[in-house]
Amino acid sequence: MTKALIINKGVEQGIIEFLKYLLDSGKVKAVFTLKKINKNGAVAFSLISKSEDLDDSVPFYPLMPVNAGYLLSRFTMKEAATEPVVAVLKPCEIRAFVELIKREQGSLENLFIISSTCGGVYTHKMSADGLVEKNLTKYWDAVKKGEILDDLRPTCRSCEEFQPYNADITVDIVGKNDLDKQCTMLLNTEKGEGLAKDMKGKLAEKNLDAKKLDNFRAKREKEKKKLFDEIEPKIKGLDGLIDTFGKCISCHACGKVCPICYCTLCEFESPDSEYKPSNYETELNKRGALRVPPGTVYYQLGRLDHIAISCVGCGACEDACPADIPVSIIFKKIGESVQKMFDYIPGKNLEEELPLSTFKKEELSEVEE
Amino acid sequence: MSKSDEKTKAAVIPAKPDIRESIINFLKDGMDKGVFDSVIIPMKVPSGDSFAYVMIKDKSILKDGSFLPPVMPIQGGRMVSSVTRLGKTDMKTAVVMRPCETRATIELTKLGQVDLENLILISMDCPGVLPLSDFLKDPEKNIKLFDDAAKKLDDTIMRPVCRICDKSSMISGDLHIGTLGAKKDTFYIISNSQKGNDVVEKLGMKLNENIDNWQTKVKSISEEKQKNREKAHKDLKNEIGGLDNLVDAFSKCINCHNCMSVCPVCFCRLCYFDSDKVKHPSENYLQRAKNKGSIRFLPDTTLFHMGRMMHMSLSCVSCGACEDACPMDIPVAQIFSMIADETQGLFDYVSGRSLDEPIPLVVYKEEELHEMEDAND
Repeated sequence: MTKALIINKGVEQGIIEFLKYLLDSGKVKAVFTLKKINKNGAVAFSLISKSEDLDDSVPFYPLMPVNAGYLLSRFTMKEAATEPVVAVLKPCEIRAFVELIKREQGSLENLFIISSTCGGVYTHKMSADGLVEKNLTKYWDAVKKGEILDDLRPTCRSCEEFQPYNADITVDIVGKNDLDKQCTMLLNTEKGEGLAKDMKGKLAEKNLDAKKLDNFRAKREKEKKKLFDEIEPKIKGLDGLIDTFGKCISCHACGKVCPICYCTLCEFESPDSEYKPSNYETELNKRGALRVPPGTVYYQLGRLDHIAISCVGCGACEDACPADIPVSIIFKKIGESVQKMFDYIPGKNLEEELPLSTFKKEELSEVEE
Repeated sequence: MSKSDEKTKAAVIPAKPDIRESIINFLKDGMDKGVFDSVIIPMKVPSGDSFAYVMIKDKSILKDGSFLPPVMPIQGGRMVSSVTRLGKTDMKTAVVMRPCETRATIELTKLGQVDLENLILISMDCPGVLPLSDFLKDPEKNIKLFDDAAKKLDDTIMRPVCRICDKSSMISGDLHIGTLGAKKDTFYIISNSQKGNDVVEKLGMKLNENIDNWQTKVKSISEEKQKNREKAHKDLKNEIGGLDNLVDAFSKCINCHNCMSVCPVCFCRLCYFDSDKVKHPSENYLQRAKNKGSIRFLPDTTLFHMGRMMHMSLSCVSCGACEDACPMDIPVAQIFSMIADETQGLFDYVSGRSLDEPIPLVVYKEEELHEMEDAND
């Protein structure tokens, strides 16, 4: 059993009160969470140091404007947080952050992490069309019942890693019938217990309801199988890839918003990927015709090669794609198969080294043979 | 329109069996006679659900050319830059694009990102393009829808900036294919440069027809669009004027910088706003949060857009690529086209109109902008 703090308020309200307590008590100097930033309902991650400003915060809003793992990396890449900060993150955001830390792009020092079992997020399209707010009730009803909504990101509908790793506090959300009345926080670590100490509420010993979560996972697995089965024949062979990525506009937005793609200058935007006019001439003589700019599928395969081992399946890439390419499901599928080869779950354990940067004498001998 | 309108003459070409095939024959003839070694034209991608530029040497592939496709997946200026940024191509290459793509190409030439030697830029009267996201909902249906609308010069389904484009027939390249005002089953080939004249001559065509009809039609469309443009910009200004409204307009921005990535004029390899200059120590962010109570993270979203505007508005061709690529449907092209009209107007400059006009900010004039000085007195 894990120690838990129970506040008799709805989940979102309960957490906001807790965050206010953390600021007011001086346990943290700032809160990093989602916040409504104007009257039009735009929601963005914010760094909040005044507790009144938390009134507009929406910690568990079903939207991921940017994968917060990337944002925390920006926050801590030059130096670790100089003062204690608490961040409310979705499980795949913590995982992305941990992967970035392994790449020396951030630090967990002085950070407290609150997360929850995650019901997934709506798409950018819904947000752009102003439909998220109108569909909040529908979202929370589905979360309570442990159901999957069709208008969530495809990677969310098929995500089995909805229970956070590396969270100091986990808020019980998925499948919790009374989440508009009660906020249950599991205190996973000493840091988490330290935060909750002296906060008004009931202390208890609790675990997440394994059976409910297993049911939920089964639904997600089913959805994943469906999505993977659909995409598999479409990306088969070079022809399949050319068909799938044919409409790519080479904007590289998928790479720009990918939390794992951290390079300041992508290989595919560097001089290495720029060709002299004579190269075009050589290719033209060989092939007769050439798509310009070239390298559409090559970019996708290169990016896949670079990040598959760490892809957390957050779906940011597909949400940013102006050409509606199912890039997140493709990357999730390939990512999981690469990760499986090394028995690696990205972002699960900070101590576990990145397989591709670790030399093992005995490894993948089946490939050799 | 080119600067020497009065004197401009055109060749009249029969559209047999239609304009598309006639242009293909024109390009093929050019390749046969060695006027072009290769051509770059838009074509449908293999899966049929979009279009891409293809550089062609094998003449048999020309038959799949699809000029004026219903979408602009990549701005032609960017495409030309990818081929010639490192120097001129040794192949004489004809490039068929829309007028705003030709203008971006001219602008990129001034910025040192395109080498025009050996390129022959060919533009066409442009009916606009569909927003990419609209098109992709049902490509097959939308190709037809677009063709019908283009024939009727109906711009209601086009990109918002296409609906207010008053330069849809502006000639800034070497040759222009004019369909407006042409007699039934014919079109004009208008030359705008010595290079253009040479091509026409080598292909045995005569620039002997006056283009009054084309000019009249272009003028009337352009004037109509200009009225709409002024109105749209005025409305937009009311909506986003002032810092608060501007911040609201960009409030849903997810900082992906995709507007910049697809912008033909934003050519920097590494944008200032992606560089180390905007990456700060955590203490800096915490201090700013303390000063204001809370800050958006990442901060400086509006600053990015204003910075980009500062850097490129004099060269903005209002093509709309930015808005097409924005995942949050922010009307970024409309905003940028409004500002671009004002900044370019200040210098009597039109981006990409002519290679002979230098970009205003790289030219020093002793006598300039006195009205600004006076305002500060």
